Amino acid sequence: MVRTGANIVIESLCRNGTETLFGYPGGAVLPIYEELYRNSYRLRHILCAHEQNAVHAADGYARTTGRPGVVIATSGPGAANLVTGIATAGLDSVPLVVITGNVSVPLLGKDSFQELDITSVTRGITKHNFAVNSPCELSRVIDAAFHIALDGRPGPVLIDIPKNVQNESCQEEDESSPLYFTRKRPLPALDALIRMLCESSRPLIYSGGGIISGRAWGELEELANRIDAPVVFSMMGLTAMRSSHPRNGGMCGMHGTALSAELLKKCDLILALGVRFSDRASGNCEKFREGKKIIHIDIDPSEINKNVSADIGITGSLKSVLTELLKTLPRQSRPEWQQFHKSIKLKNVPAEIKTLVPENLFPAVAKYCDEDCVIVTDVGQHQIWTMHYYPFKTPGSLLTSGGLGTMGYGLGAAIGSSVARGGKRTLLFTGDGSFGMSLQELATAVSQKLPLLIIICNNGVLGMVRQWQTMFYDQHYSHTTLNRQTDFPALARAFGAEGKKITTLEELDSALQDLAPDRPTVLDCRLDKDEWALPIIPPGGSIEEMITEKKGI
Amino acid sequence: MEKFTVELTAANSCGVLHHISGVYAKCRINIDALTFAPEAESELAVMQVTSKGNESVRTHLLKLLLKLYDVKSVTLTQPK
Repeated sequence: MVRTGANIVIESLCRNGTETLFGYPGGAVLPIYEELYRNSYRLRHILCAHEQNAVHAADGYARTTGRPGVVIATSGPGAANLVTGIATAGLDSVPLVVITGNVSVPLLGKDSFQELDITSVTRGITKHNFAVNSPCELSRVIDAAFHIALDGRPGPVLIDIPKNVQNESCQEEDESSPLYFTRKRPLPALDALIRMLCESSRPLIYSGGGIISGRAWGELEELANRIDAPVVFSMMGLTAMRSSHPRNGGMCGMHGTALSAELLKKCDLILALGVRFSDRASGNCEKFREGKKIIHIDIDPSEINKNVSADIGITGSLKSVLTELLKTLPRQSRPEWQQFHKSIKLKNVPAEIKTLVPENLFPAVAKYCDEDCVIVTDVGQHQIWTMHYYPFKTPGSLLTSGGLGTMGYGLGAAIGSSVARGGKRTLLFTGDGSFGMSLQELATAVSQKLPLLIIICNNGVLGMVRQWQTMFYDQHYSHTTLNRQTDFPALARAFGAEGKKITTLEELDSALQDLAPDRPTVLDCRLDKDEWALPIIPPGGSIEEMITEKKGI
Repeated sequence: MEKFTVELTAANSCGVLHHISGVYAKCRINIDALTFAPEAESELAVMQVTSKGNESVRTHLLKLLLKLYDVKSVTLTQPK
């Protein structure tokens, strides 16, 4: 059958299970948008206000469903606007298929209007990218892109399609050259790991995003029970166990809990599952591993021994390795280690106060959210407060930009997640700085009738940077005081959403009882500019240097 | 820092060299010498890349090169 390149794109997307895609049209993708018009009965296209938010939305969709998010943009500026979103997805291992148009092949390399060599631009931030030169390659390339996006450690794959390739017809599919090579890895022997675990008297499980993306939280809980060990988490892995779980030691790292720091100090073995040992999570690597044995299991072989050298390194999918491990791992009991965990956990109960401070804001909002509600954050102090104060109940219910730390990620991702769950309420915690980077996307949330609940932690400053300026730069507040007069509730209403200013817990409570079911609600919560995200370990420091209180400032 | 050579077999297609050299660039490793030739009667090409780096650099680089989807095999040929 003779088909155009644009038609092959649509057929290939449908064949690979795509039902929804996000994007923004333009000159170099007009043939694909013509096919989207004809196929609107089977492919839902969400028109975003900006390409960066479109790719964040596809990211939110992918993290929520576990399937690749699909995004489409035109050449030149459209493609360039995708870059931050692709990098965000790459560092957090999110499967995306990104389609860009380009100028026709004869115009490539001639600085044509809206020409951009996007495959070169995205070389370092994609898992793989394809520059397509013929419509006859398209079907195989798109199948390969979906395969690669999910294969092993998930990630973004970009396909750049010149306009003439979209318009031209294909008589016969090109089957000649190999598109990718795969490497099968046998399941490793686990005897040494089991021996080391049995010999440990104070093992600690350190769980990361690999447990979430591998959907291995059931196995994680069984493992923790089996070896009678507490679990600490990287930011990306935080929801693998409910916050109230007795084995939950909280998030570790630069902004980790004091409880997790105590557990890390005291343990004699770390069983690291699906973590990167990023500098934010482990700080000074030498000190981090001092006096401890480390077992590291990850799906990506290049993560083993990258930042922290492991005594045992195992490459494999967490789900299959843990399933295999649990078949033979004997049940163990460590009452003294359990007792230690319980005793320090009690010391971390926050004091009771009745004002609109982060400790109260997050639990108050949580009371009005269902267990299956997805919580999205932007980046900054509010992100850390969410990790500390929101009582997570459902695995995989947190979407946040952990690796790249992308301010402006939240609103797009919340839209994508809500769309993925059939328009269900999604909760976004953001800051006035982060929200200012993506607020135009309220237009999309309104047009799609999405009941997002957007909590702006508005302190009038770029809070996290200001906190660092206070702590490490002699309170030199260089360009972190916003001095803006933005009226967020009025702005929300201008977009067609609901908006309210919140200054007390009572106002928050009342606003949360009356949320619009068919459009976003923006609650502009006023916080003090000198609220801090604590604890904090100074950059490059170790857990011994953790600052837990605001002293001497 | 020791000189080392990596031999790669990769797809002989547009952009492969960019993907491979990109891994070196990401690790801030200079490429001192490079040869690239198509394999006879196949869609593959063989490449030899010579650079400098210690053992941990080499080990990590090899792992990253093996992650490339258009690279079929990676072998450290020098030092053996």
